[in-house]
Amino acid sequence: MTPYRFDIRIRHNRRTLVEIEAFHLPKGKVTFLLGESGIGKSLSAKALFGLLETEEFDARIDGQPYADHRRSPLAERFLREGFFVFQEPSTHLNPLMRLEDQISEGSLAGAPARAAILAQLWQESRPGEIQSLLEVYPKANRPSGGEKQRILCAMAFLKMELAARHGAADPLFVFDEPTGNLDNRYRDIVLEEILRHFRQFRPTVLLITHDYSMISWVTRQHGDILESINFTELSLEEGRGKLREFQPRTYLGWLSSRQPVRSGREAPEGHATILRVESGISVYGRTLGFSRTPGGEGCPLALRRSSMAYLKAPSGTGKTTIVKIMMGLVRGRNLRMQLGSGILSEATPRRLWQERIWGKRMTMVFQHADEALNLRSRVREVFEGLPLPESRTAEAIGAELLQFFGGSIPRGFLDQEVGTLSGGQKQRLNLLRSLLLDADVLILDEPLNGLDFTSMQRVLELLERKVKEGRALLLISHNEEIFDALVAPENIYYLSASFPE
Amino acid sequence: MKGTLHTHLLSILVVAGAFALILAATGGGTDPEAEARRRLVAPFLELEFFDAGDPLHRALLKETLRLYYPSSEEKIDSLLQAIDAYRQEQFVSETEKTGAEALGWTSRKVARLIPMYLQFTVIYGIVLLLTLYGAQTLGTYRFILDRRGTPPLLRAYWRRVAAALPTRNLLRIAAAVFGNLPLLGLALLKGFAYAILFAPAYVIAYSLKTRFDTDSYLFMIVLGVVSNGMVITYANKFYLYLIHESRKGYVETAIVKNLARTFQWGVPGGIPRRAVFRIRKHFGGHVLQHIYENARFQYIPALKEQATFLVTGLIIIEMALNIQGHFCYEMLQNILRTDYTVVAGMLLAIFVLVKATDILVDLWYEREARRYGHPELDQ
Amino acid sequence: MNARRSPSGRWLANEEYRWALLWLGGLALLWIWNTLYLNPPALAQLEQAFVNTLIGAAAVVVMTLLLGWSVGTGLYFLESRGRRMVSLGLTFALNLLRSVPQMVGILAGYIILTILIQREVLQSPALQVLWMAFTVTAFTFLELADVIRERIDFYRRSDFFDAMLCCGIRESRIVNIEILWKNSVAHVLQKLIAVFGMAIFLQCSIDFIISVGLSREVSLSNFPVTLGGLLATLDSKQDILAISTFFTNPAYLLRLATTHLQGISVAFAIVFTLLCVYKVSNGIVRRYRL
Repeated sequence: MTPYRFDIRIRHNRRTLVEIEAFHLPKGKVTFLLGESGIGKSLSAKALFGLLETEEFDARIDGQPYADHRRSPLAERFLREGFFVFQEPSTHLNPLMRLEDQISEGSLAGAPARAAILAQLWQESRPGEIQSLLEVYPKANRPSGGEKQRILCAMAFLKMELAARHGAADPLFVFDEPTGNLDNRYRDIVLEEILRHFRQFRPTVLLITHDYSMISWVTRQHGDILESINFTELSLEEGRGKLREFQPRTYLGWLSSRQPVRSGREAPEGHATILRVESGISVYGRTLGFSRTPGGEGCPLALRRSSMAYLKAPSGTGKTTIVKIMMGLVRGRNLRMQLGSGILSEATPRRLWQERIWGKRMTMVFQHADEALNLRSRVREVFEGLPLPESRTAEAIGAELLQFFGGSIPRGFLDQEVGTLSGGQKQRLNLLRSLLLDADVLILDEPLNGLDFTSMQRVLELLERKVKEGRALLLISHNEEIFDALVAPENIYYLSASFPE
Repeated sequence: MKGTLHTHLLSILVVAGAFALILAATGGGTDPEAEARRRLVAPFLELEFFDAGDPLHRALLKETLRLYYPSSEEKIDSLLQAIDAYRQEQFVSETEKTGAEALGWTSRKVARLIPMYLQFTVIYGIVLLLTLYGAQTLGTYRFILDRRGTPPLLRAYWRRVAAALPTRNLLRIAAAVFGNLPLLGLALLKGFAYAILFAPAYVIAYSLKTRFDTDSYLFMIVLGVVSNGMVITYANKFYLYLIHESRKGYVETAIVKNLARTFQWGVPGGIPRRAVFRIRKHFGGHVLQHIYENARFQYIPALKEQATFLVTGLIIIEMALNIQGHFCYEMLQNILRTDYTVVAGMLLAIFVLVKATDILVDLWYEREARRYGHPELDQ
Repeated sequence: MNARRSPSGRWLANEEYRWALLWLGGLALLWIWNTLYLNPPALAQLEQAFVNTLIGAAAVVVMTLLLGWSVGTGLYFLESRGRRMVSLGLTFALNLLRSVPQMVGILAGYIILTILIQREVLQSPALQVLWMAFTVTAFTFLELADVIRERIDFYRRSDFFDAMLCCGIRESRIVNIEILWKNSVAHVLQKLIAVFGMAIFLQCSIDFIISVGLSREVSLSNFPVTLGGLLATLDSKQDILAISTFFTNPAYLLRLATTHLQGISVAFAIVFTLLCVYKVSNGIVRRYRL
């Protein structure tokens, strides 16, 4: 069957957001679309479905004005027979409507196998749990992010059944980051369901993701249908999007050759413990503790200089919360922390954190670069207001930027508005801002978020260098297979939450 | 909910206290000089045989006082002056107003003001509800027009004429200019409507004073809703809420679930015109239903702001139009009479009315939130 | 937050600039017409009234900006430093102020003004205007403070704040420069323009009411005349009353436009200004997708 092939060009406010020649989509296969975030993967997929607003975007598909494309039989067919699972499940459900109504309105009203599909997505649930979930109005915490994602996927699967029943030919199903930043348990369930439904109905599936570890999982679990699975990577070359096939072995080979990061003999202060946090911190009605093995006995978290530590826990346990407590952003009861020679507890006044610790001894990199950076600043302004040591002159910053961005920054990069950079560039800028500081301890929350393969390698190289320079790094990441290989076993910690009776 | 109720009640108490303090500090506004004068003069005026209006009596009084208090020449003169001044005051106030009422709260005054206050409350309530309906309906209507992408009237007219110009065919051009005149007419009408909607109430009322009975309740209610920029500001606010909601993610999900998304009138998959004008609007099977429901819920707290502005508008209307027998007109009269104790009481009464509305709106919001299992109530 | 520029990119085609220009143009046309048809003393009075109104409204805008910014950020800093009692008390007082209808507050302010004049405290007209402007500000600055607080809270909820704190950036810099100066100018500007319109509306209304009531305590010949006061004079009122003859006798329009000019000019100036302020404010909201 001839694959779908589109030329996509999307402009907004006279700025070209996306320009892709020959966006290929083989019919009847699963295509994994990898690549750094913010270069137009979701936007292009939405454009195909006719979801963009004509007043805002000036889009052209195959040279056709967008209004015409929206009316074209192809776009109408995509909408009628297919489905689109969007990226942020929390905003994609109506807060004033019960979940069961949302899952059975519109064209989903005629779908037969609702109960069966839901049961498969919630395999471990008790009877009646699914029903009580459906009667809920979606709020921030209930259902959880993972549950919301599964509800949206359930809608997609219902549509698949309907499409098959009506004899649709090549319906298109798009899953945009269906696993988000969820932990591997949920990721495995959702992926499994997608591929199982694929096997049953053989629609055209486009799965947009920046999680390269899916490659390992897919080749392992569904090796038999590998010829129906396609890995492509979208990258920006001179402002144009280029779609290339991505060989699984590129990633797999790289992964298998990873060695744990260990400080070499260059480390000046050796392996002194720089940060030590005792277990048993209570916050939000739960008590958090560290251990060396999952569910093992509690132990303090000890970060040594020139080392990289990895904190693991199922999603929802409170990894982000505990690191925020360690950074003094959230008050946790029973905090007993030793930083160098000073003791920190919940009674430590905020002024002390602000004057002595933040940016000077400890710093943290947050996972969403879009939120962590001021999108209206220029690139050079990102480094203003930082407590940088005098040795970091403007030239030094420029040199670091150059190195970090691969030895070539486009002219005028420093004067560009941060909001106009791609997602990967923003993430690297976010990291660089903290890495330039002279802090002894660096906490990184999902540092590889939104990066493509090449950038990922660069960032990891940079982190390795900082470790060798004597910093202590603490990482949170759902890219378990990468960091399990990179972090020495003695530096892996597990976080657990217990609830008082 | 109890907490907000207590806060509301506490604020009423505080405001009442503040008023009392201000009045005490400024001496109640009653002219202390006049008060002192009255006290001085009163015993003389109460003498039965003394007619203060008769010049002979006044001269006799003067002589008598001179006889008994020979060394108080100045005091006697000033006393007579005080009597004169007092009489003049009484005369002036009698000829000017509805009768020389004593300053301050009297039971007669209370009996007169209470029905006016109730009348004010009823008018206020009616206008509030009408404006709520108007804001939601006009806001939704404007949102639909916006989605359809109809160009503004003047530009549409210009476009059609400009399209005919290059043909250099006089007949075509004339046809374009005159045939599309209804568009110009509509634009003019729209401009006229804007003029009314934004005009302060007194401008409109005075323009129509000789044609219509501007003292009627109906006129007041219509004026309250339409003028002072009232309905247009809140229609705009509601429209902005709709726009804000329409950008949210669940609208995309609704589209992908194949809910109707055209904003044309009356076609299948579009919006029936009548649905926009209902009181309880419902757009079944259309993405607008999701958007409208959310906007409507978000808008409820804005009703408090609407109430505050409405009171401002009504005060302006009643005072500026000098409508006798209305609460705010009485208030204006009392201000001009410098009877500030009464004015303070009336202002407090209005504040209580606004606070009562706040409480009711909070209760309503709470009820709606509970219906939707609002996050604050859960957990 | 990308501004939605029109396809042709010319700034004139943007709604808010268009309407601002239209406002100036409309007023200029009115002025030219008046120089032709209105007698010079009345025209001079009209100009003076218009200027006074604008100055009063401008004073309100400036005071609102100062007061609103300080209260908005000040309340935030009080809360973040943990001074709960003070911030709770202040919040309660502000909520109180919020639920006082503007006209009620302005009337109270006017009453205080008359008392002060009686006691011979505020004698100079400039101070009196300033006092009335302050009274109007007292009942509009909270809207700006709310906008500012909303912006701060928006960034508080996301990682923006925490990320910058962790890099050692000072909190005052984050609030004032990063959040407000770089990301909220459009919001603040839009609110200030709305306040400008509201100030004109309220000032004209109170002046009209007081003039109509023919107060003897405050001799308004001292108080600088504004558009509202001018509208209440006998001449203007007669002019406005004459508008209703237009409905029965459309040909009267020409006479209306040439002889009943004082009242109609004042009314037109007020209504047209309010309309243009609304459109400009709306244009900003649409362009910046606030």
